[in-house]
Amino acid sequence: MEQRPIAQGTGTGNNVLSVYSDRVELSSGFPGQNTTSVGLKQIANVSIQGWVNCTLTIEINDGRRLNLERMALPDARQIKAVIERQKRMAGLHE
Amino acid sequence: MKRFVLLSAMVVLLVATTPGLALAGDTATTAGTSTIEDVSLAVDTVWVIVAALLVLFMQAGFAMLEVGFSRMKNVGSVVAKILANMGIGLIAYWVAGFAFAFGDGGSLNPLIGLQGFFTDPGADANATFAGLSWTAVPLSAKFLFQVAFALVSLAIVWGTMLERTKFAVYLIFAAVFAGFIYPTVSHWIWGGGWLTDLGMQDFAGSTVVHLQGAMAALAGTLLLGPRIGKYDEAGRPQTIPGHNMPLAVLGVLILWIGWWGFNPGSTLSAVGAPFADIALTTNLAAGAGVLGAMAMSYVYRRNVDVGMAGNGAIAALVAITAACAFVDPWASIVIGFVAGIVMYVTLLSVDRIGVDDPLGAIAAHGMGGIWGTLSCGLFATPALAESVGAGQGGLFYTGSFYQLGIQALGIVTAGAFTFITSYAVFAVLKATIGLRVKPEEELNGLDISEHGVFGYAEQLVATDPNGSARTLPDPLERTIGGTG
Repeated sequence: MEQRPIAQGTGTGNNVLSVYSDRVELSSGFPGQNTTSVGLKQIANVSIQGWVNCTLTIEINDGRRLNLERMALPDARQIKAVIERQKRMAGLHE
Repeated sequence: MKRFVLLSAMVVLLVATTPGLALAGDTATTAGTSTIEDVSLAVDTVWVIVAALLVLFMQAGFAMLEVGFSRMKNVGSVVAKILANMGIGLIAYWVAGFAFAFGDGGSLNPLIGLQGFFTDPGADANATFAGLSWTAVPLSAKFLFQVAFALVSLAIVWGTMLERTKFAVYLIFAAVFAGFIYPTVSHWIWGGGWLTDLGMQDFAGSTVVHLQGAMAALAGTLLLGPRIGKYDEAGRPQTIPGHNMPLAVLGVLILWIGWWGFNPGSTLSAVGAPFADIALTTNLAAGAGVLGAMAMSYVYRRNVDVGMAGNGAIAALVAITAACAFVDPWASIVIGFVAGIVMYVTLLSVDRIGVDDPLGAIAAHGMGGIWGTLSCGLFATPALAESVGAGQGGLFYTGSFYQLGIQALGIVTAGAFTFITSYAVFAVLKATIGLRVKPEEELNGLDISEHGVFGYAEQLVATDPNGSARTLPDPLERTIGGTG
């Protein structure tokens, strides 16, 4: 059965961020030619900057940062909330 | 059988003679009471109502144009949006828009009208709606004609935002645009505002209707972002073709016919008005616009692009909208031809700087509107300017830059006001409910995600060249933990 994302958002440059129950996937290119997948356990922090054209930043334990620019605030907030909720439910917060 | 034949003959006789008797009676009565002024007013009113109908019919043109340039998976959302905008636009304009545009604003009259909210046909029209007191047709006719214009301007906004915008955004912005933004600039130029006083020439709305629509569209598109797949990794624009060129051309032709009401109808009277001359300049320009765009297409790509030819006609019609009553027929051909070329160049430029405009509305209505408004300052003849009663002759006749300067001032201020206010509204919407649908919904098509049905039978809905008429690929089947 196809797994559907819990939350999704679009940034510039065909970047699509999808949050699943256990991981986050950043698809770039089209249609989703390049995919970066990060387990929720690896995510250190999620932050949002801006009000109208938001930048969503996901900091990963290995030092990488995934940026999704020019997002709508509701989408960014939803993604942040879902990631934090999933981490809480899985007991992944330190 | 005999009885049936007899009965039929009686019915035919009755049908044939009754209207004649009725009309004879009417004629006798009317001839006794009507004056030349009454008949003249009736003719004017019929003309304005017919023109309003033609302008309203342009919504069908926009629907077909947008459907033709959309992918199959989004056509239902296009027509749903047109209907919703007509509903909201009509009511918002009746509640507030008409008053802001043409009401008497007292000491604030140079900026905005403040009387006549919830438009009442029984009101003292000339005092309340001073901005339209120059024509004697009933207030209802004036309202219907003007609201059709507001709806056209609103339709232009959505042409650039196709295939990725939330339906709720259409609904909310339509109310603000038709109720406040559009009427404010209408008041400046047509309703006795400060640009009217300066003598700005915009006979049927190159700036008021088309430039405003395009500037609001630009504001929305900048915040919305391009469709998924419109630009490749290197940022190069990719062609996302529409699914039905004949429908798009049908849309262009309906718009072209609608312009017979748009420009000639803006006389708001028939008796003694030069509406036939205006129809002539309008159509000559449109023809020249087709040729201009086709010529550019051939020079640039060595083929004749049908979509571009259609946009050339629209750009030329937009351009001649301001100038149609002020210029000679030869000038209308120049204006239309240049509009076709300007549209083509702008369309390519807009695409390259990352603004995804599926319909070419920014090029056709925006640059067409700017060129058309400026062209008054170049080609307006002193005699026609005097007979219309707005401004003076253009640069080529008078050697004076005055009218050109006024036209440029109008473009800058109207464009800036519309862009800034529209950007603010879209920014608030983006920060609260968001402007665009989820990626999954965009890839599946708005028909199914926003309206629950396909515009076409489900079996007919084709995937686009990138195979995007489906959900994102199943992530479980892909490599986890890296690119690839």
